Amino acid sequence: MNIETRSVSVSLSKKQIVRGASIKVRDKQFVGLLGPNGSGKTTLLKSIYRVLKPSAGTVLIDGEDIKELSFRDTSRRMGVVSQFNNISFDLSAQEMVLMGRAPHKKAFERDSAEDYRIAEDALKRVDMLDFRDRSFLTLSGGEKQRIILARALAQQVEMLILDEPTNHLDIKYQLQIMDVVKSLGCGVLAALHDLNLTLMYCTYVYIMKNGEVVAEGETEEVITERLIKEVYEVDCALSRNPVSGKLNVSFFSAV
Amino acid sequence: MKKHLNPRHAVLSIAVIIFTAAFVLSVLAAVTIGAVKISLGDVYRIVLYNTTGIELGDGAFLSGGTIFEIVWNHRMPRVLMGAIVGVLLAMCGVVMQATVQNPLADPYILGISSGASLGATFSIMIGASAFFTGVLATMGTAFWAFLGALGAMALVMLLSHMGGGRVTSAKLVLAGSVVGSLCGAFTNMMIYIGKDAENMKSVTYWLLGSMVSARWPKLLLPGILCILGMLFFLTQLRTLNTLLLGDEAAITLGVDLAKRRRLYMIVTSLLSAVAVCTCGIVGFVGLMIPHIVRGFAGSDHRFLLPLASLSGGIFLIWADVLARVIIPNSEIPLGVITSAIGAPIFVYMMVKKSYGFGGKD
Repeated sequence: MNIETRSVSVSLSKKQIVRGASIKVRDKQFVGLLGPNGSGKTTLLKSIYRVLKPSAGTVLIDGEDIKELSFRDTSRRMGVVSQFNNISFDLSAQEMVLMGRAPHKKAFERDSAEDYRIAEDALKRVDMLDFRDRSFLTLSGGEKQRIILARALAQQVEMLILDEPTNHLDIKYQLQIMDVVKSLGCGVLAALHDLNLTLMYCTYVYIMKNGEVVAEGETEEVITERLIKEVYEVDCALSRNPVSGKLNVSFFSAV
Repeated sequence: MKKHLNPRHAVLSIAVIIFTAAFVLSVLAAVTIGAVKISLGDVYRIVLYNTTGIELGDGAFLSGGTIFEIVWNHRMPRVLMGAIVGVLLAMCGVVMQATVQNPLADPYILGISSGASLGATFSIMIGASAFFTGVLATMGTAFWAFLGALGAMALVMLLSHMGGGRVTSAKLVLAGSVVGSLCGAFTNMMIYIGKDAENMKSVTYWLLGSMVSARWPKLLLPGILCILGMLFFLTQLRTLNTLLLGDEAAITLGVDLAKRRRLYMIVTSLLSAVAVCTCGIVGFVGLMIPHIVRGFAGSDHRFLLPLASLSGGIFLIWADVLARVIIPNSEIPLGVITSAIGAPIFVYMMVKKSYGFGGKD
C-alpha cells in the first residue's frame, strides 16, 4: 500500500504551518521525514493520520482520497506512534496493546485467543512482555513509547506513521525500535531528528524547512554536509562507519 | 463457561453477577422499610401478587386498602425510581468521564443541573402561567426543568462549537461552567426577589433532590429511557475504551471522534435531564460511583459500565431508605444524604493512594 500527499497545506490558528507539501511512501518503503524543530513535520503527519484537516491539497491512501474513507477504514491500513501519549484513566500495559485490535473488532466481539496472542507477540517484539500487568501510568517515558509501538504492531497494518518514535529512549531501545520497525517489512513514514538513525534505516528521505519540502531523494544522496548546513545551520562531517559501512554524521562547532 | 483469557475478567464477570443479585435484593429489601411497620409476609405477598398474579391469602387485601397503597403505590415506585435514577446517573457519569476524558465530569457538569434548576425555579417561583397561555401554562415543574436542562445543553454545545476548530474536552467543560454560572445567577435572582416562603421551600426541596413524588406513571419514561440508554451504550463499550486513550489515539484506532463525542454528549444529556426532572438534583452519584467502581474494577468499560450502573442503583436505593427513616416521620432531602455519604468515601479514596483519579503521579 502507499500513502501520498499532494500539495498539502495545513494552518493552525491562521498560521500556515505546512505549505504545499507533496510526499509519497511506496509499498514497504522506509521513508524519513527530516527538518529542524518547527519545520512542520508533525503537522504534516497529523494531516495524514487525520487529526488535522489540510486547508488545501489532498491525502491519498492507495490512490483513494482519505476524506472518502471512514476512520475505521484508515485505522486498518495505517498505525500511528505519536509523540504524546498521556492518558487520564489507568490501563494495564496489556490492555493498552489490546486496544490495537479495536479496528478489527465488531462492537460486541470479545477479545479472542488470537487477539491475546497478537498482543503478546507485539509485547515480546518491543521487549516489554514482563511489563504486561503493570499500570501504563507508572511506566517511564521510554517504556510507554515501546508499549505504544506494540499497540501499533497489534493493529497489523501495512503502513506505520511514526512521529519521533525514538524520543525518550536510550540508545539500546532507539536501535531496537528501529530494528523492529524495519523487520516488519511494512511501509514506514517516520519523522526523525537523529540524522544517524536516518542514515542507518531510511531508504528515502524528505527534508522540510519552514513548512515546505526542500529536498527529497535516496537518503545517502540527499543528506550532504551542505544540506545539513543549509537546513539545520550547523557544521558537520560525513564519514563511513568502519563496521557497518553506513554514512555517519559528526557535528562540530565552528567556534 | 468459556475459559477466560484474562483471569481478571473472570473475577469481574463474577462481580457483575453478584452486583446484579445485590441490585435485585436491594429493591426487595428496601420495599420492606418505611415509616409504617408492615410485616415482611404482607409486603412480599402484595409484591408477589401484583407482579406475578400468585394469590397467597386474601385477594382484597392484596389489591386494595391502606397496606396495599403504601407497599404497592408508594414504596415500590419509590424504590424503583431510586434504582432507575441511580443507574441513569452512574451510567451517564461513566460515559461522560470517558467522553470528555476528564475524571471530574459528571452528568451535571455540562450545565444540565443548573439549566434544570433554572427551569424548575422559574416554574415554582414565578409560574409558567405568568408568561404563557395554553399548554405551556399547564406544564409542571418537571417539564420546565427538562426544558431548562435541554436549553443549557444546547447552549453548551453551541458555545463549544464557536470559534471554529475541533470540539475539545476542555472547551466542553469550560462552556459547561460558563452556562452553569449564568443559569445559577438567574436562579438566585428569582429566589432573591421571590416573596412566597412556601415556594421557597419547594425550590429548596427540589434543588436537593427527592423521590417523594414517585408514582407508577412517573416511572414509565425514565424506565424506558434507562433501558434504551443502557442497550445503546452496551454497543459502544469498545469505542468508550478507545476514547480513554485520548483524541489522537482514538482517531488513529478508527473512532470518528467528533461524531461519537457529539452523540454521547447528546444521549447522556438527555438521560441526565430525565433523571433531574423526575427527582430534582441528586448530587455526587454520577461523579462518585464511577470513581469508586473504577478503583476496584479498573477502566475497562466492559466491566465498568455494568458494575457502576448497578452500584449507582444500589447506592441510591439505600440513600433513599436513609432519607425516609433517619428522622422519624420526616424526610431528609436525598441530595443531602448522597453528599453526606459520598464526601467521606471520596476523601477515603483520595487518602488511600492506590487510586489516582486519573492523576499522572
